[in-house]
Amino acid sequence: MDSDRRRDSRSWDWDSPQCRAQLDEIFFRQHDYIQAGSPEHKEFWAFFDRFQRFKTKKDMSGSGGARRKEDKEEGKDRGKTGKVDLGLPKEYDARYRINVSVCTRDIEERLGKSEHRSRQRSSGPGTQEISDCRLALLHFLDFSQRQSFGKLAKLRQEQKNLPIFQYRDRIVELVRSHPVVVVAGDTGCGKSTQVPQYLLSAGFNHIACTQPRRIACISLAKRVSFESLNQYGSKVGYQIRFETTRTPATKLLFLTEGLLLRQIQQDGTLSQYQVVIVDEVHERHLHCDFLLGVLRSLVAERPDLRLILMSATINIKLFSDYFSSAPVLQVPGRLFPIQVIYQPIPPEEQPSRSEKLDPRPYLRILQGIDQRYPPEERGDLLLFLSGVAEISTIQEACQIYATHTRRWIVLPLHSTLSSGPVFDIAPPGVRKCIISTNIAETSVTIDGVRFVVDSGKVKEMSFDPKAKMQRLQEFWISRASSEQRKGRAGRTGPGVCYRLYAESDYDAFAPYPVPEIHRVALDSLILQMKSMCLGDPLSFVFIDPPPAASIQTAVTYLKEQGALDNAGELTSIGRLLAQLPVDVVIGKMLVLGSLFNLVEPVLTVSAALSVQSPFLRSSQHNPDCATARQPLHSNQGDPFTLLSTFNAWVEVKGERGGGSRKWCRRRGLEEQRLYEMVNLRRQFKDLLRSHGLLESEHSAPSDGDRGQRRERLTERRKLHQLKRDHEQQEGSRRKVLRLAEGQDEELSSGSDTEEKGRGKKDKEGSEQNMDIQDVKFKLRHNVSKLQEAVSVSQDLSSRQQALLKLLLCRGLYPQLALPDEHNSTRKDSEQVFHTKNKQGVVIHPTSVFASDPEVLHVPEDDSREMGPDRQDSSRHQLLAFVTLLETNKPYLSNCVRVPALQALLLVANSVDSNADCTRLVVDGWLELELREPEEALKVLSTALTLRAEWERLLLAQLGQSTVGGPAGQGVSRRVMEKLSDGLVRFVLYTEVSYSLRRLTAFQTQNLYIGPQSESELSHSKAPDLNPLFPGAEVKPHPIKGGLRVTSFFTYNCLADSKDLYSECLRTFWSCPNCDLYMPLTPLERMQHEASCRPAGEQQQLEEGGKAGSSSVSSLTRVYHCDVCNEDLTLTPTEILKHKRQHMYSTK
Amino acid sequence: MEQSTSETPQKTFTCQLCGLVSPYSYYGQKPPNTRAIVLLEECFVTKDPFTPDKEKFLVLGSTCSLCSLCVCVGSDCSLFYTKRFCMKCVNKHLDQFPHQVQAELAKKKQSSRAAIS
Repeated sequence: MDSDRRRDSRSWDWDSPQCRAQLDEIFFRQHDYIQAGSPEHKEFWAFFDRFQRFKTKKDMSGSGGARRKEDKEEGKDRGKTGKVDLGLPKEYDARYRINVSVCTRDIEERLGKSEHRSRQRSSGPGTQEISDCRLALLHFLDFSQRQSFGKLAKLRQEQKNLPIFQYRDRIVELVRSHPVVVVAGDTGCGKSTQVPQYLLSAGFNHIACTQPRRIACISLAKRVSFESLNQYGSKVGYQIRFETTRTPATKLLFLTEGLLLRQIQQDGTLSQYQVVIVDEVHERHLHCDFLLGVLRSLVAERPDLRLILMSATINIKLFSDYFSSAPVLQVPGRLFPIQVIYQPIPPEEQPSRSEKLDPRPYLRILQGIDQRYPPEERGDLLLFLSGVAEISTIQEACQIYATHTRRWIVLPLHSTLSSGPVFDIAPPGVRKCIISTNIAETSVTIDGVRFVVDSGKVKEMSFDPKAKMQRLQEFWISRASSEQRKGRAGRTGPGVCYRLYAESDYDAFAPYPVPEIHRVALDSLILQMKSMCLGDPLSFVFIDPPPAASIQTAVTYLKEQGALDNAGELTSIGRLLAQLPVDVVIGKMLVLGSLFNLVEPVLTVSAALSVQSPFLRSSQHNPDCATARQPLHSNQGDPFTLLSTFNAWVEVKGERGGGSRKWCRRRGLEEQRLYEMVNLRRQFKDLLRSHGLLESEHSAPSDGDRGQRRERLTERRKLHQLKRDHEQQEGSRRKVLRLAEGQDEELSSGSDTEEKGRGKKDKEGSEQNMDIQDVKFKLRHNVSKLQEAVSVSQDLSSRQQALLKLLLCRGLYPQLALPDEHNSTRKDSEQVFHTKNKQGVVIHPTSVFASDPEVLHVPEDDSREMGPDRQDSSRHQLLAFVTLLETNKPYLSNCVRVPALQALLLVANSVDSNADCTRLVVDGWLELELREPEEALKVLSTALTLRAEWERLLLAQLGQSTVGGPAGQGVSRRVMEKLSDGLVRFVLYTEVSYSLRRLTAFQTQNLYIGPQSESELSHSKAPDLNPLFPGAEVKPHPIKGGLRVTSFFTYNCLADSKDLYSECLRTFWSCPNCDLYMPLTPLERMQHEASCRPAGEQQQLEEGGKAGSSSVSSLTRVYHCDVCNEDLTLTPTEILKHKRQHMYSTK
Repeated sequence: MEQSTSETPQKTFTCQLCGLVSPYSYYGQKPPNTRAIVLLEECFVTKDPFTPDKEKFLVLGSTCSLCSLCVCVGSDCSLFYTKRFCMKCVNKHLDQFPHQVQAELAKKKQSSRAAIS
C-alpha cells in the first residue's frame, strides 16, 4: 500500500486531465452535489488552480512559524481569562471556518458503504491528493455560498436604501384598508419595482401591474423576479403582444395597458386578479385614461379588488378625486441638486419654419463643458430635441466637433433605433452625448447623465377631425416635462441643466402636457367601448373627458366604415374589428381577405401596414441601397412593395438563416420591423382562426418523417440553449464604447466600407454575438411552413393582384385621394392630390409613387380632351392610402393605386346618379361623367349585382363565423370563386370612357333635387317597382330626392339632370341572359339585371343557395298586382312581363 | 419532514443583527436533495436563487452557539469557527479566537472605519 502511494504521488500531475478524471470519480459522480461536466464542476477546477497557487504562495511566505508562535499565545490567553471556555481548537485551521462537510466516495468506502474494490483505489490518487482535493472542494463550496449570500445581502441593502423602503408597511396597510390607493413618487424612488414586491410578500396574490410600454414590462419583470429571488422561476412574469412568460404559478404579472383592456373585454370583472396596479398614470396615455375609467366602475362592482395608481408627483389630486378622494401616499424622489442655466437661443440663430435647426447653440454648450469641466470628471450629456430630423441635424454638427476634439461619442436615441449603445460606457476622458427625443424623458433611463440640454420643444401627434388628418406638430413642452427633463441630470450626482429658452418662457408653459385622449382620433377607443357594452361614449365618465365633437367624429367614421349601424350599435363586422388590435381599416382588410383565396398576402400586407416602415429613411439617398431595393419595388403601390419585401426576406431566412441581417443592411431595411411583421402576421392568423374565418391548420400527422421531426427537435433544443446563453450573458456587463462608435451606428447603409467597420465589432465575440433575433424567430416560427404560406403570395397573377388591390381599397375606404388634373404637366416632386376633406396633399417621399408618379397619370393615347376641364379616359385612377399625416406638409403614405370608376362603384358608401346614369356623384365630392348612356347603365348594373353578391357572401361568412362552425362552410368555394372572377373581370376589363373630377364647393351646395312631392314622383311610380329589386326597398330618398335603390345607390337625385324625362324614357333592350326584349326605363333595366342570371348560373345559384342562406336562393316574390288584384308568386322578370302585359293591354 | 418544509416556502428568516429578511425553505443540517452534503450546524437554508440549478442551496444563517441569537452568515453579523458565533459574542470573547481571526476582524474594522470617514 505504502509503496503504491509513493509511486502514485511521484507520477501524479494535477494538470493532467486523466488525474483530474480520477478525482472526478471520487468527488463528482452522477449523484454528487456537483457532477462532472456541469458548469460548477468547471468552476471548481478553475478554483482549484487558484487555491493551489494561493497555498504555495502562503507556504513560501512561511506561515508555519507564525502558527507555532500563536499556539503558544493562545494557550497563555486561555489560562488568564476566567470566562467561558468556547472550546475552540488550539491550532488554527482555515478548515474550521467552513460549516459544510461533504461525503464523497473515499468516505463512503471508509464507512463501508461502497463496494468498490481496493484494487481500483490503489491505481488512483493517493490519500494526499484526495485530501488536497477535498480541502479545495470544501473551500469551493464555502466560496460559492459566500458569493451567493453576498449577492443577496447587496440586493437587500439596495432595496433598503430606496426612498420608498420606509413607506413599506404604510403602503401595505393602505392597500389593505382602501380599495384605491394613489402612490406618487418621482423617478428613482423605486415605486415600480418595490410596490409589487411589498404586496407580494404581504400575502397578496394575482397582481397585475400595467405599463404604458412593452419594453418596461419585460425589464421590470426581469428586475423584480431577480429581486424577489425568483429569477429562475415564474412567480413574476410579463405579458405583451407577442410574448409571455406567464405560467399558472405566476403571481405578479407585468402587462401593457392595452392588454389589460383586452382582458377586461374577455372577462368583465377581471376575476383573475386580486390586485391591479396601474403604473405611470401621469403619462396620460389614451389606453391608460380609458383603463382608469373602466376600473373605476369595476371597483364599485368588486369590493375585493385592490387598485393602486402609481404616478410621478404630477397632478396627483386629479387621480385621487377621480376615485372619490382615494388616499395618496407621496414618496420623495432621490435627486441630487441640479443647477439650471437659462440660455435662450439668440434671434439670429432661431430657425425659421422651413429651415434646418441651427447647431450653434448646442455646440457652444459642448464647448463650454469641455472648457469648464476636466475630462477626468465623468458625466454624460443628454440633449432633448423634438424629432428625428432635428436629431440628425444636430448629430451631424456634434459629430464633427467630436471627431475634432476626441472627447465625445455622439449617439442618437429615438423610438425607431435600438437603444443598445446609449447604455454602454464611454472610455475614460470621453463623454457620451446622447441626442434624444422625449423618449428619454420618462421611458428610457440612462445612468451617468450629468448634463442635460433642453430645447424645450416636443413633437406631438394631433388629429384634425375636419380634414381627417393626423398632424405631427412642434410645441413648447409643459412645465412638468421641463422638470422631468431637468431631473435626468441629477440621478447619479449633482448636475447641470441648460435650458435653451428664457425663464419667462418657462413660466408661460402649460403646467401639464395635453393628455392623449384630447389629441388623437378616437375610432378604436369608441369601437372598444361599444364592444365592452359601456353605453353611450358621450356619457362615460372619463378622468378628463374628450371633446364631444371628437367622439362624434369617431362614431360617424365607424358608421362610414360599416363597423356601427345607423343606431350606433356594433355590426357583425364591427364586433370582429373590436377584437383585432389594429386600426379599423387594417382589420377590415383582414376580414375581407378571409373571404377570398387571398388570406396569405392580405395577412402580410395587414401586418406590414400596422408597423413602422422597414425602409430606413437614412438609406433613401444611398445609391447602393436604392439599386438593391429596386427588385422589391412594385409600382402598384407601397403595400405591394412591402409584400414583396417580406416575401423575399422570408426566403432569405429559409436559405441563410442569420444571413438575413446582412441582406437587410444592404437594402437599408430595419430588420426589427420585419420581425414585428412576422409576429403580427401570426397573431392575425390566429385571430382569424379563432373567429372561424380561417380554416385551422390541418394537424397533419405527417409533419415530415420521423427523422425530420427529430432533426427539428434537436434544432429547437439547440436554439433554446442559444437563447438561454444569450439571456445570461446579456445582463452581465456593459460594453465600453469605442471612440468611433457614434459614426458607425449612425447609418446602417449597405456599402462595403461600412461592412468592414461593423465586421470588427461583430467579431469580438464571434460565436456569442449570434443573432438573437434570428434565434427567437426560429423558435417562434416554422420557417418552412412560413415559406409555404408566403410562396402563395409570391407571384400573384394580375387577376389576384387586381383582387388584392380591390380588397385593400375596400378596407382603406374612405381614405381615397384624387390626383390633381394638372399633375402630368408638373414636376415629379410637385404632384398634388386631393382627399375629400383636404386639398393639396402630397405623396410621402418614401412612397413608390413619389419616385414614379407617371403611373398615376392618365395615359395620353387613352384620353380625349372634351373641353377645358374635362378629360375622358377609361384609365382614371385613385389612390387609396393608409395615413394622411401633416408634418411640414400634408403627406399621404402607404398608397395603392386603383381604377377609379370600378373601385368607387364597388366600395363607395354613396353613389348618386342622374336619370340616364351618365353622371355619377360619389360621396358628394367626386363627379364621374360617362359618355355613353348604354355603357353607363351596363357598368352600374354590373357593379350593383357584384356588390349585392359580395355583401351577401360576406355576411354569410361573418354570420357563420359567430356560430363557430368550421370556416369556409358558410360560403361555398364555387360561389366565392364566381364572385372573385366577376370582380376581377369588372376591375380589369371595364373599358368605359369617363371624366373624373372634384366637385367645387358651389356644385356640392346645389347637388340634389331634394325631396319631391308625391305628384312629382308619379311618373316613376315607386310602389310598382318595389318588389322588383330583391332585398332592397326602393323608395324616395328623404333628403336627396330621387329613388334610393340600395343602401348606397340613389337614382336620379342629381339636380342638374340634362334631361328631366330620361328616367321615364324607355328604350328597347334585350337581356343577354333571358329572352326578354322590351322597352325599359334605365331603372327597370338595372332591376331586371340585378335579378336575372344566365340559365346555367341560375341553377348553380339555387344549388349553392340550398347549402347557404335560403332567403336568396329563391328569386320569387309575392307580388300583388293591382290590376288583377291578386297575389302572385313570381320572379322579378316574370313580374316585369306581367306588368307589361297590363301596360300593352291598357294601351 | 423534509417534504413538508419544502412545500411551505413562505417561512421567513430574519437576522436579528442586521435585519436581513428572506424566506427559507429548510432548517436543519441536511438540506433536501443535497446528496452527500452535511452542514456542521443547524441552518436556515433556501434554494440558491442566483443559479438556475434547482438543487443548489444557500445557507442564510443559523443561531449563535453561545447566545442563541438568530444571525445571518454575513461577515458583519456572525462568524463560523467550528461553531457559529454572533458578532456580539465574538467581540465579547475575542481573546479566545486564534490570532488569524483576530487580525482579520481588526483589519475589517479598520477598513470600514476608513470607508465612513
